[in-house]
Amino acid sequence: MTLIFAIAAGVVFGAGAFLVLTNDLVRVVAGMVLISQSAVLVVISSGLTRGDAPILPTGDKTPSDPLVQAMALTAIVIGLAVTALLLAIVARVRATLRSLEVRELARDEAEHTAELEQSLDTMHEQLASDEAKEEQ
Amino acid sequence: MTALALALLLPWVVGVVLLLADGRRKLVGWAAVAGLLANLGALIWLAVRVLPDGEQTIVTGGWTDGVGIVLRADALGVVFALLSSLVVLAALVHEVLEGVRSRTFPALVVLLATGLTGLFLTGDVFNFYVFFELAMIAAYVLTAYGDDRHQLGAALIFAVVNLVGSFLFLIAVAATYHVTGTLEMSEVAARMADVEPNAAILIAVTFFVAFGTKLGLFPFHFWLPAVYAGTRPAVAAILSGALANIGAYGLLRFGAGLLPNELELGSTVLIVIGSSSVIYGALLAVSRRDPAEMLAYSAIGQAGYVLVALGVGGPIGLAAAVLYAILNALSKALLFLSGALRGALVAAAFAVGALSLAGMPPAAGFLGKLQLFRTGVEEGSVALIVLLFCGGALSFVYAFQLYQHEFWRGDRVAVGTDSEKGVPAEPSGVAVRAVSVVLALLVLGLGIWPEPLLSLSADAAAVLHGGAVR
Amino acid sequence: MSVLTEAIARLLLAPALMVAGAILVKGYVDVGDGFSAAVIVTLAVALQYLVLGARRTEEEIPLLRFAPRAAIAGLLIALASGFFPLLFGDPLFSHEPGPGKRPIHVGRLELMTPVLFDVGVFLLVAGALIALIHHLAEPPELEEEGHPAPAAASPAAPAAREEASR
Repeated sequence: MTLIFAIAAGVVFGAGAFLVLTNDLVRVVAGMVLISQSAVLVVISSGLTRGDAPILPTGDKTPSDPLVQAMALTAIVIGLAVTALLLAIVARVRATLRSLEVRELARDEAEHTAELEQSLDTMHEQLASDEAKEEQ
Repeated sequence: MTALALALLLPWVVGVVLLLADGRRKLVGWAAVAGLLANLGALIWLAVRVLPDGEQTIVTGGWTDGVGIVLRADALGVVFALLSSLVVLAALVHEVLEGVRSRTFPALVVLLATGLTGLFLTGDVFNFYVFFELAMIAAYVLTAYGDDRHQLGAALIFAVVNLVGSFLFLIAVAATYHVTGTLEMSEVAARMADVEPNAAILIAVTFFVAFGTKLGLFPFHFWLPAVYAGTRPAVAAILSGALANIGAYGLLRFGAGLLPNELELGSTVLIVIGSSSVIYGALLAVSRRDPAEMLAYSAIGQAGYVLVALGVGGPIGLAAAVLYAILNALSKALLFLSGALRGALVAAAFAVGALSLAGMPPAAGFLGKLQLFRTGVEEGSVALIVLLFCGGALSFVYAFQLYQHEFWRGDRVAVGTDSEKGVPAEPSGVAVRAVSVVLALLVLGLGIWPEPLLSLSADAAAVLHGGAVR
Repeated sequence: MSVLTEAIARLLLAPALMVAGAILVKGYVDVGDGFSAAVIVTLAVALQYLVLGARRTEEEIPLLRFAPRAAIAGLLIALASGFFPLLFGDPLFSHEPGPGKRPIHVGRLELMTPVLFDVGVFLLVAGALIALIHHLAEPPELEEEGHPAPAAASPAAPAAREEASR
């Protein structure tokens, strides 16, 4: 059983990682959801035991592990909050860039950096020329 | 016990209530400051109890040990909680005085402080993850804070990369539970010795990758410069002075505390990765001209020192790692905050920060470097001492390059797209400058009177190796 | 959307709310809790948003405007029911009436502080999710200033779940 879970978690994680590396921001978010789900799968598989309901053990069988369910639920909720956050950021990216592509985002950033470098360059040149004047 | 609960409850309630209010109003900002002050007060109260008398524990719900969630305050946790709370408070006061620009900023900062307090004071591996995620989510939103739309890309990268790190951490937690059958840290530490070595190593590596990503160590650093360079100074100070502590604390707690055998096994790897981090960060920092970017690369280098100290291990190495993490957080926060200001005394405050970063007396950073040298000598490794020396020299170069660029030229030259030419800005308000000056005095004071800090870090490290102090 | 889906969506809202209420209350005798109840409510509301669109839904159910406030109130209730034992010097998250004592019964419902906790979780989760749907249904206009609120509401969610889940 653990093996099946391990394979499933691996496949889900791989699919998620693949999606994260694509160009479409919505797919990136979907990839993060998949990765979070693979973590949940690992959490579930970490305490797989068969037994009675832990809330009221009858004594015939050992109760199953209740902690795993609690952890998985918490992980799911955190995954949900995180997905909401990522979607909010993506919505803002779309609003400002009018695009949902990672490439566009990178291009915008590269342009911004170039502008910054240029402004620094002009600043340094000016300072240098100011100093030269003072020396004269 | 009350102090422990209050340290958690007070900022939580304040943060949640503040979500309702408009954070741009001064009053709301000051309410947030009050919330953090309460948190800090409770932590100091807790520290006064914990440091002489040893750890305090609460098991929730009055369950027996091993069933309820354990909240535990020991010297290591309290030291890091105090440090982070202090840095976050300074950054928040700075931003409130400068003028908050977003509705949710104060509330988010307070919630971030709640998450940090919680994760430093928990004794449960899974609970650590929950508080850690609370702090991280607040941080993701904070990086998107500010007027700069170019920041969004950095925020997205930050969120995605660190989320992958978080989920790897969760997977490692699940694996730990699978092999040990418990989530309580002391129990995990006790049972980890009997676990099959292969599984234990795999778990240790996953934890290492997760925390390395948070800390921005060399192979996992690629998200860091863009994020630090683009955010507002207060947010950058929080990220580098408070949030990066998660990485350092996590490596110490999970590495030295829970998986000591695996840590020892991987010590060479840690030292190599740490050294490459030190060299890489320092070299790139020297080559950068944008101050924020320079500081960001220097953060990568400084994280490397912590890792080297951890790799050397033993009481001296661990104490050095704790001390270095504390001093680095303080000086980074000071540099980010004072670097954004202009006016009398700010230059001095910045210089103190730069001295501390470079490890020159009388600033406190000197102590950190000194302790690291001590670990190097203890290890008897010439290569390590040469490395530390080179790293120190390089950090001296970039710290003063920065100082020269920022302050020596006289008038403030605003950096950014909107300033095609240098625009001399007015000196910042007296109160804002006072925050930086107070931080600088703290760094200076710790450098001149180092005994309390030294014994504090030795106490904190003693929690991990369980041995005698010094 | 056809007339049929619209009709069904409207018809489903009331039963969904009732089921959610039952699940919330049942949690102490049978399977159920505040979280699943909240998810059911949110699903029903999400269906309305899908079918009617954001504007019409919010006109028809004006209560939805209070979603963010409900989330915050819920988190405060949950925190209060977790931390109140501090006042009596008991460990955190102890419940009243304690183990072994008879709780007050209203019908088959047993009144004790964990019920309050689950009500808090219910409000928190439902409020945060509905606020999220609201913001994603009407994404921020191009170049509009202002912070997306779901991002602000979300840090609260995992925090409260942490206690709820164990």
